[in-house]
Amino acid sequence: MIKLIGQRAIASIFSLLVLMVLVFFLSRLTGDPAVLFLPIDATEQMKEEFRRLHGLDRPVLEQFWFYLQDLAYLDFGESLRKARPALEVVLEAYAWTLPLALITMALVMVAAIVLGSLAAFKTGGFFDRLVSIISLIGASAPDFWIAIVAIVIFSIGLGWLPTSGVGTPVHWILPVAVLFIRPFGLVVQVVRGSMLAALQAPYVKTARAKGVKNLPLIFVHTLRNGMLPVITVMGDQAAALLNGAVIVETIFGFPGIGKLMIDSILQRDFNVVLAAIMVTALAIFIMNVLIDIAYGLLDPRIRY
Amino acid sequence: MQFKAILLGALLASTFSAPVYAQANTDITVVLSEELDLVEPCMATRSNIGRVIMQNISETLTELDVRGDKGLMGRLAESWEDLGDGTWQFKLRQNVKFSDGTDFDANDVKHSFERVFSDQITCESKRYFADTELSFDIVDPHTINIKAEPAQPILPLLMTLVTIVPEETPFEFVRNPVGTGPYVLADWTAGQQIVLERRDDYWGELPAVTKATYVFRSDPAVRAAMVETGEADIAPQITEVEATNPATDFTYPNAETVYLRIDQSIEPMGDIRVRKALNAAIDREAFIGTLLSEGTQFATAIVPPTTLGWNPDLVPPAYDPEQAKAWLAEAEADGVNIKAPIEVIARTENFPHVAEVGEAIVQMLSEVGFNASLRMVEVAEHEQYYSKPYPEGRPAQLIVAQHDNARGDPVFSMYFKYHSQGTQSGLSDPKVDDLIERASAATGEERAALWSELFAYLHDEVVADVLLFHMVGHSRVSERLDFTPTIATNQELQLSQIGFK
Repeated sequence: MIKLIGQRAIASIFSLLVLMVLVFFLSRLTGDPAVLFLPIDATEQMKEEFRRLHGLDRPVLEQFWFYLQDLAYLDFGESLRKARPALEVVLEAYAWTLPLALITMALVMVAAIVLGSLAAFKTGGFFDRLVSIISLIGASAPDFWIAIVAIVIFSIGLGWLPTSGVGTPVHWILPVAVLFIRPFGLVVQVVRGSMLAALQAPYVKTARAKGVKNLPLIFVHTLRNGMLPVITVMGDQAAALLNGAVIVETIFGFPGIGKLMIDSILQRDFNVVLAAIMVTALAIFIMNVLIDIAYGLLDPRIRY
Repeated sequence: MQFKAILLGALLASTFSAPVYAQANTDITVVLSEELDLVEPCMATRSNIGRVIMQNISETLTELDVRGDKGLMGRLAESWEDLGDGTWQFKLRQNVKFSDGTDFDANDVKHSFERVFSDQITCESKRYFADTELSFDIVDPHTINIKAEPAQPILPLLMTLVTIVPEETPFEFVRNPVGTGPYVLADWTAGQQIVLERRDDYWGELPAVTKATYVFRSDPAVRAAMVETGEADIAPQITEVEATNPATDFTYPNAETVYLRIDQSIEPMGDIRVRKALNAAIDREAFIGTLLSEGTQFATAIVPPTTLGWNPDLVPPAYDPEQAKAWLAEAEADGVNIKAPIEVIARTENFPHVAEVGEAIVQMLSEVGFNASLRMVEVAEHEQYYSKPYPEGRPAQLIVAQHDNARGDPVFSMYFKYHSQGTQSGLSDPKVDDLIERASAATGEERAALWSELFAYLHDEVVADVLLFHMVGHSRVSERLDFTPTIATNQELQLSQIGFK
C-alpha cells in the first residue's frame, strides 16, 4: 500500500511539474496583465511601472527561475488583482469547493447505490422509473436552468430557501441539490447496470434458494461485486466537482475555486491560475490514490 | 403511507428551517455583480470599488452634484480659488476626523496625492493626471495650494477623483481603509461580504442607513430575486429582462456610450464617403426596444448629454441605405477598395445582447455592400485591437466599444479617443488635436464652446466614428427605501443618499 502511494506520488510530482511549466509559459503567451489590471486609458508609463512592480518586465526565463525559487518555499507569489498571496486566495476558495464536492458526492453515492440497486432488483418498478426520470433530467437539463428554476420555485415562489449565498447550512441546500442531479443521473445508471449483471450470478441464486431476504441479498451479498465500475465513474464525477462548479458558483454566489479560476484566467492573474491548478491537481491525485485503495478493499484479487 | 409521512416531515422541516432575514430597519443589503478584489481608496475610480467606498468610507476634496444642478460642490474642501499661474488654493474643512481618530489636515491631502503618484503602488486615479505635474504648498493646516504644470483649469473637478487617506497610510494597497467618510469598514470576508457601519463621529449630517452589507452575485436574475425576496435592498445592476416591476425597478442613463471606433489609417476607412456610408447604413431606431432597452438614446458624441459642452444641435445620422450605397459607389469610382474585408470586433458580455447587436450591425453593413464580418473576442483580445499600438497588418476593423464618462467634463474622454496621440484614437487631424488642447486648457463658457465646436467638427465634418447609443441601466430598489438611481450609480452608491420610507 505504501509502495503504491509512493509510486503514485513520484509519477504525480513529475506530472505536476510538467503541468506547471506548461501553464507558466503558455499563460504568459496569452496577454499582458498590465493592460487588464490598469484602466483602458492608462499611460504607457503606468503600464511599465506595473510590470516592473510585479517583475513582468524581466525575461520570461528569469521570471520562471524566480518563480521556482519561491515555489521551493511553497510561495506561489502574489495575486495581481487582489494584492494577497495567491495560495491564500486559492485555499480560501478551496475551503468552499471541497466540502461542496464531498457533500454532493456522498449524497450521490448513497442515493445512487440505494436507488440503483432497488431499480436493478425490480426492473420496470417504481424505483426503476424514478431513477430513469432523474437520470433523464440530469442528462438533458442544463445546470444553470435547473438552478434558476429552483430559485424561482423554492425561494421566490415558496419562500422556503434563500436564493443564494453561503451564510447558513440552509444556504447549501439549493447548490448541493442542483449539483447532485447530473452525477446522480449517471452513477445511478452505472449502479443499476452493474447490479443487474451481479444479480444474475449463480451465487446470488444459491443465496436466494437458501432463503436470504431481499435487502440483505442486494446490499450485503451482491453490492460489493457491483461496485468496481461504480467507483471508477464516481471518481470521474468527483474530479469534475473538485475542479469547481462554475455555473453553480456563479448563480448561487458560492465563493469556490471554479469561478476564481475563470476570473483569474480572464484577468491573466498568472500566480492564482498556477496555484489553483496545482491545488486542484493535488486534490485529484489524493482522490485517485483513495480510489485505488478502495479497489483493493472491494476486490481481494487486486493487490498492490 | 410511510412515503406520505416522509414527505410531510420534509415539508414541515423545510418550513421551520426557512431562513430569517431579520435585520435592523435601518440596515441594508446591497447586491453587486462582482466581488471587489481590493478595498483600496486610491482605486475608488474603478467602478466596482468606487460603488462601495467612494464618499462612504473615503471622501474627496470636491464632488460633482449629479442629483441637482449645483455643479461642483465642496466635500472635504470648503472653498477653492484660482490664484493664477496654475495654482489653486483649497480651504479645507475643519474638525474632520478620520475613522482611526486622527485629525484631517493639509498634510493628509499632500500625502494622498503623493501616494497616488508613487511608483511603489499602482493607483488608478493617477491616469487622470497623466501629463500634469502637481506640487503642494501647505499654507496652514487647513489651507493648501496646489500648483499644476501645465496649468490645469479643471483642477477642482479633478479633485473629485482622488480620495483622501491619512498621512500614515503606507505606499502599498491597504486592506483596512481609513477615511473621513460617514462609514467604516467593519468586515470583509473574501468571497462573501463586505460590511460598512455608520460612524457616529462623522463631521457631516449622519446618514439614515446604519449598516450596509454588500454581497456579490454574478447572475442578474439572482440579484433581482434577492431584492424581491427581501434578502437584499438594492441591486444596482439588473438586466432589462428582470426589470419588470414598476414599483421597484428603475431605468437610468448609465453614462455609457456605445460606438464603433474607426481606424482611418486602413483602407477603405480613410475615405469620408465610406465613413458616412457606415453611419447611414445602420438603422439605429431598430435596436431600441428590441435588442436594447427602451430609454436608450441616440448618441451624437462620445459623452452623455449631461456633460459640459454637449452640443444639442447635432442630429444623429439618418438611416438611408440608398444614400449609403450611392456614397460607396462614388468612392469605388474614385478607386477606393470598398470590398476590402471589414472585421467588426466586439467583446463578449460588454453590454447586454452585444453579440446580437454585432450581428445586426454586420447584417446592415452587408446590405449596403460592405464586406463585413463579426468577431466576438474576450476582454484581453479586445484590448489589443482597441488600444495602441494596433496590431501590424490588420484588416479594416470596426471596434464595438462602450465608453463611460459620468464625470461631467469631456476632458476625460476626448484626448484618449480622438487626439492623434490618444490611446484609442483612430484619427490624426491637426484641427481636432488643436481643439482638444485648447478646450482642455480653457475655463468657463469658452471651455464649453470649444468642446461644443469639437463635437460638431468630429460628428459632421470628420465623421470620426459611428456613434450609436447612450445606454441605460436598470436597478431594483426595495420598496422600503427612498432612493432613485442616477447617472452616477454606475460609479458610486452614496449610502448617505439612501432614505427609508
